[in-house]
Amino acid sequence: MPTRHLIIGGGTAGMNAMRTIREEEREPSEITLVSAERPYSRMVLPYYLDRSIAESHVYTATAANLARWKVKTLIGRKATALDVKANACTLDDGSRVEYDDCLIATGSSAVRAPVPGSDGRAVHSFWTLEEARGVLASVTPGRHVVMVGAGFISFTILNSILALGAQLTVIELAPRILPRMIDATGAELVEGWLKAHGVTVRTNVKLARIEDAKDRKRLKFSSGPDLTADVVIMATGIKTNLDWIKGSGVGVKRGVTVDERLRSNVPNVYAAGDIAEGRDLISGEAAVHAIEPTAQEHGRVAGANMAGKDVRYRGSLIINIVEVCHLDAASFGAWDDARAEAISGLKKERSAYRKLLFTGERLTGAIIIGRSSDIWTTNDVGMLKGLVQSGQPLGRYKEHLRRNPFDVKTVFIAAKTTSTLLPETVLGRPSKAPGDSPVAV
Amino acid sequence: MKVLKLTPERCTGCLRCEIACSYVQTGAYQPAKSVIRVSPFEGHTSYAPYTCTQCAEGWCMTACPVGAITINAAGAKDVLDDKCVGCKLCTIACPYGTMFYDTSTRKAFKCNLCGGDPACAHACPTAAIEYEDVVTADWIGDFARERMGYVALALEGAR
Repeated sequence: MPTRHLIIGGGTAGMNAMRTIREEEREPSEITLVSAERPYSRMVLPYYLDRSIAESHVYTATAANLARWKVKTLIGRKATALDVKANACTLDDGSRVEYDDCLIATGSSAVRAPVPGSDGRAVHSFWTLEEARGVLASVTPGRHVVMVGAGFISFTILNSILALGAQLTVIELAPRILPRMIDATGAELVEGWLKAHGVTVRTNVKLARIEDAKDRKRLKFSSGPDLTADVVIMATGIKTNLDWIKGSGVGVKRGVTVDERLRSNVPNVYAAGDIAEGRDLISGEAAVHAIEPTAQEHGRVAGANMAGKDVRYRGSLIINIVEVCHLDAASFGAWDDARAEAISGLKKERSAYRKLLFTGERLTGAIIIGRSSDIWTTNDVGMLKGLVQSGQPLGRYKEHLRRNPFDVKTVFIAAKTTSTLLPETVLGRPSKAPGDSPVAV
Repeated sequence: MKVLKLTPERCTGCLRCEIACSYVQTGAYQPAKSVIRVSPFEGHTSYAPYTCTQCAEGWCMTACPVGAITINAAGAKDVLDDKCVGCKLCTIACPYGTMFYDTSTRKAFKCNLCGGDPACAHACPTAAIEYEDVVTADWIGDFARERMGYVALALEGAR
């Protein structure tokens, strides 16, 4: 009898796992996908929001693709309980799906600041496609949009809101913007850039309530003046969709705890993506990253192991990039490690910043800011990722960077980083093109 | 597969590769739009070209959330313009710094070996860039390593 794989969640992790199973398996297996939504990519929703792509572009698989890949789909269904002794999953319509192994990839959801009025009219989250549709319908030229939260999610849609001709105010509880992505110096640079491009930024403000004000909304704060808005977008964080799995016997801390094969404490139950708590490449500690690249790699490694391969995962590297009005800001690894030795360089007139964090001779974290049109920035973005990912000792090149923190490229080349990286693959083999997969055809 | 074999000892720093590359890739004669980059060493007395190795992992390709990066007939990782949305994930996933982004088209671009007829290799007058059926490698690391000693020392002296 063919192996029965159950994939719970049709996001990035689930899709990558299914594709890898089909790439790696020796004998045909049965794949069943349970997904509350039709599979789409959250990464491209900002481009749907600014209308540069059609809604059809966001989907990562059509029904025909999935059929061609012989995936049995249960779209619109949610898993409600996992019975790890009976190897069965209960769905929200009461049905049960039996499996030989399963992947938990139920991701995360947006959470709103717990203030009165946060669930009211014209108050949106921006996380799912459905939520994106809501924002799309409400943001029109001249309207005043207030974004609550100045983190990664908020920054992914800043450009779109401006492109739609709306006025934008960003408010943040922390003393600075992007508090979990860049340091204070970087934040000051980005904030200055935002203000120069017509965005109002208010940091260090605590939202107290959101009230109706005729057709508009009024935001009240613990201190400081009120704001009046036409649309409020809550970009106040996400939480893992763990509740349904609690009590099942699958080990859970901040996420589902997984080993180097993405396996939970239950040997035939895997977890991947935002819901998984796996190894961080730099610290070696278990962490929930909740970023797209981690979900991709988790999904691929889990899929390979489910297909019978023995693939061990080195761990995930935190990488983030946002672009606002053609200014790029990116960070890698342990960019906020207070124990690391920091080397930095700032060129205010070019809006360029580099911060390099060393643990001994190794680069273990980095922040980079620069103009998108500046090819130097784009090259350094990748090379900093490479230096952190390779983990190689930089020896005397560290001193070179101390004297010129912008000369990343010369150091990358001379340290023979390419030699270190070339043999590295996630699955122990060359990657296949996506055209042969259910992800995109 | 055929790859770009780089011999930095032969590079004169003439930048013809960058000019040719930018023209074929973006339609502009503009080194800042070239996906092959020439770096100077030893006070601009020696030079080395650097570009995508077409690595086995294809970090750009596996990172793309919409499957917009594929493998073309020449075996190169290639961006499909009609699928790329410009999210820049490939630019931070590529650990070699060889993914690029065009602010005018709002799309990523990279070395696609010009589909099997690379303009840089044609343009190079000294065969520092050749298109050959060899295993891809770190072509310029040793060259740079020898010369970086000089740079580091010079900076030390200038301090």
